[in-house]
Amino acid sequence: MDRLQEEGSSPIHSFRLSTVSASRPTETGMTHEPTGLDLAMKLHYLKVVYIYSAETARDLTVMHVKGPLFPLFEHIPWIIGRWRRHDSGRPFIKCNDCGTRFVESQCDLTVEEWLRIPDRSVDESLVYHQPVGPELAYSPLIYIQMTRFKCGGLAFGVSWAHIMGDPFSLSHFFNLWSRTLAGEEIYCPKPSNLRRGFPNPTSTDKEPRSIKRVDPVGDLWVASNNSKMTTYSFNVKVNDIKSHLPANKNEFEILTGIIWKTIAKARVTCEPVAITIIRPDPNGLKHRAVRNAQMISSVHVDFSVVHANLDEILKAIGEATDETFLINELGERDDGVLDFIVYGAKLTFVDMSEVDFYEAKVREAPPISVYCNVHGTGDDGEVVVFPAAEEKERVVTVTLPEDEMEKVKGELNKCGLIKALK
Amino acid sequence: MSSPKMPDHLSSSVKHKYVRLGYQYLVNNFLTLLLIPIMAYTALELFRMGPEEIFNHLNSLHFNLLHILCSSFLVIFVSTVYFMSKPRTVYLVDYSCFKPPVTCRVPFATFMEHSRLNLIDTPKSVEFQMRILERSGLGEETCLPPAIHYIPPTPTMDAARSEAELVIFTAMDDLFKKTGLKPKDIDILIVNCSLFSPTPSLSAMIINKYKLRSNIKSLNLSGMGCSASLISVDVARDLLQVHPNSNAVIVSTEIITPNYYQGKERAMLLPNCLFRMGAAAILLSNRRSDRWRAKYKLCHLVRTHRGAEDKSYYCVYQQEDDESHVGINLNKDLMAIAGEALKSNITTIGPLVLPASEQLLFLTSLIGRKIFNAKWKPYIPDFKMAFEHFCIHAGGRAVIDELQKSLQLSAEHVEASRMTLHRFGNTSSSSLWYELSYIEAKGKMKKGDRVWQIAFGSGFKCNSAVWKSNRTIKTPTEGPWSDCIDRYPVFIPEVVKL
Repeated sequence: MDRLQEEGSSPIHSFRLSTVSASRPTETGMTHEPTGLDLAMKLHYLKVVYIYSAETARDLTVMHVKGPLFPLFEHIPWIIGRWRRHDSGRPFIKCNDCGTRFVESQCDLTVEEWLRIPDRSVDESLVYHQPVGPELAYSPLIYIQMTRFKCGGLAFGVSWAHIMGDPFSLSHFFNLWSRTLAGEEIYCPKPSNLRRGFPNPTSTDKEPRSIKRVDPVGDLWVASNNSKMTTYSFNVKVNDIKSHLPANKNEFEILTGIIWKTIAKARVTCEPVAITIIRPDPNGLKHRAVRNAQMISSVHVDFSVVHANLDEILKAIGEATDETFLINELGERDDGVLDFIVYGAKLTFVDMSEVDFYEAKVREAPPISVYCNVHGTGDDGEVVVFPAAEEKERVVTVTLPEDEMEKVKGELNKCGLIKALK
Repeated sequence: MSSPKMPDHLSSSVKHKYVRLGYQYLVNNFLTLLLIPIMAYTALELFRMGPEEIFNHLNSLHFNLLHILCSSFLVIFVSTVYFMSKPRTVYLVDYSCFKPPVTCRVPFATFMEHSRLNLIDTPKSVEFQMRILERSGLGEETCLPPAIHYIPPTPTMDAARSEAELVIFTAMDDLFKKTGLKPKDIDILIVNCSLFSPTPSLSAMIINKYKLRSNIKSLNLSGMGCSASLISVDVARDLLQVHPNSNAVIVSTEIITPNYYQGKERAMLLPNCLFRMGAAAILLSNRRSDRWRAKYKLCHLVRTHRGAEDKSYYCVYQQEDDESHVGINLNKDLMAIAGEALKSNITTIGPLVLPASEQLLFLTSLIGRKIFNAKWKPYIPDFKMAFEHFCIHAGGRAVIDELQKSLQLSAEHVEASRMTLHRFGNTSSSSLWYELSYIEAKGKMKKGDRVWQIAFGSGFKCNSAVWKSNRTIKTPTEGPWSDCIDRYPVFIPEVVKL
């Protein structure tokens, strides 16, 4: 970490911006209408960083990387369009082939030196990010940063507006790119061809807990926070997680339970009694496409998490209520002009353990490191769990208000999840 | 049921049409029509006279051997001098146009977004560019070189050379493949690129890349504007008169990278909206062996230069703006000046190509206006009688509209120009070849068809070339239109809503 902050200069420099579009013009007048669920996600952005070793990526030039994006965008033209608003104020995408912003940069460190840093949240500096707005018509939805390390390795940082699709969509998009790079023909169905039915709400509550209405943000789609948020990332071994509870429970749920309890201990005065869990829709995985197909559920307990034992917490997690349908309805309300946050409205746990980030193979080699986080989280914070390069490991990124982070880190250390703390 | 009576104005125009047709037939075939009665009379006389009388007549002329020998030598001498001094026919064997890669594509929306980001302090200039683009007649598939895709553009000399290598070598490789030409067989090489002239020259770059012969006659024309391709053809034709049994390769291109205007003056931003990547490589030959496989024969080439007038000289002017950014200033009178230059050119080319009937009408109208009444409407000769196809330099929508109006051409005649502007933008000197390629790709080029290529350029110049098709070109053709010709012609709206 020290080398990164010397004299206030970043090791990442020499930025060059350009634009990548589709190889063939999209039909004039084509538009894409977001669903209510899409609109509910509009203040959130996904950030994913793929790092490839020097052996794999040394001879990959900028044109090699840009080339496959053109035919790929021909299949998914709405992600390179730009937002407009109907007269009612409801946003829609005009498929005008405007393109994504492509950023080239250099890093003074080698891939090895970069990966030696234990807190992987440094990868956030490998993602060029700008929010959508203040001029909707000129804001790209995707930014791709290609960073060349001193040894020849490459990092691809993707900033992705969540309104277009969930983490599985992002991974699907990047995997399609890697397959096009390898020379494969790809096929990408339009989301309208895959009607997604939202399951009926399991509770009779009309107002979902996992979503919060915010003050109108106008055309600048940024969630405002009361406190500055910071991110911390660490690895855990699946076996270590399972050792906490020998039952055959899902390791994401176990992690969720443990970290919930930890954060509750740190937030002594106002421990979170409700959390949001976001996981993939099992049906959605059958037909990969770019869209929001996640399941958003809410867990609410009437006991103190700090004093409860893990079994009770896990039982409550198992009884989470699916609120996706209600969120979709809420997103549609007033013809989609309202602004909400979902991540961080309550302490949010995101299960990305099944996302196939490591399928994005370049020259038949998978990335040696992947980092993932959600940007634009609300004040309650979020925890993202995704696979590590090692099969039996997971990476956890925790985004919380700055003043809470040290306490939480301390608690995580106490419960043994973090082995060594700097 | 009785046939419906034609309305009066229609019937009178039909009568008018027949009168006109009759007049044209009479004047154009005047000599033939004169010859027939004379031949008929002579034949009749000969039959009447009988063989003995003819023989007697011949004897009375007192021919002897000397007379006969001298006469035959005279005939042989005159015909030899005639054939020797006849200019060598120049054939266009084949040509190829550069098709830009899809990675260079610039949709309207991307162009406008970049414009906004590059000219962040001058929204009025951005708005001006948007209005130009909306009315430009360009489509969504035109291409700019890689260096211009950056925000801000990065026009280094290396990038300019890369663009030159990409466009020129791709076009030349394609030409070699099409014609079977071997690089070592090239006798004359002429390259024209107006605004990028490095040292060593682009022609030297080609000679280096393809290892051409050391005694090659190479030429590099720079600064001559969008009409330089026909100037190159003119130079090649003259060289091919002096060098028998030779071929000439012409490379016409414009390198965009170093010339993309980076300032904010509106008159100088206009070329950024219109100029796009393109190149063409053409193989000309005067060899008799190429006669059979050549696509076209060069009939006429007329160059007109209006540079003596200050107004014409300054109308397309490269200069620095107040912030020392170099760009090309296009004057508001450009269309009027182009019209004048075209009139000059037509005055020279008209007598060479127009049928006698049109020339007579034009002459009558001219004399009438000079002597009798200056208010008579000037007669505009019908060039559609002289040519089957027209290739008007796709300089911009206004140029094509202006020429369509002044030459009274139909939409079909200017289709090649409009569609080239739509698909490829203004590729400067190479646009004429993209247009010719369009006509071939549409299967419209038949043997004996005459093509008129008209190019305008800074100076102010108007150059035109007349080609005659040597053979019918079969579809599908290989070229820049091969993957999209089925989509053309497209309807191009007056204003595209961005």
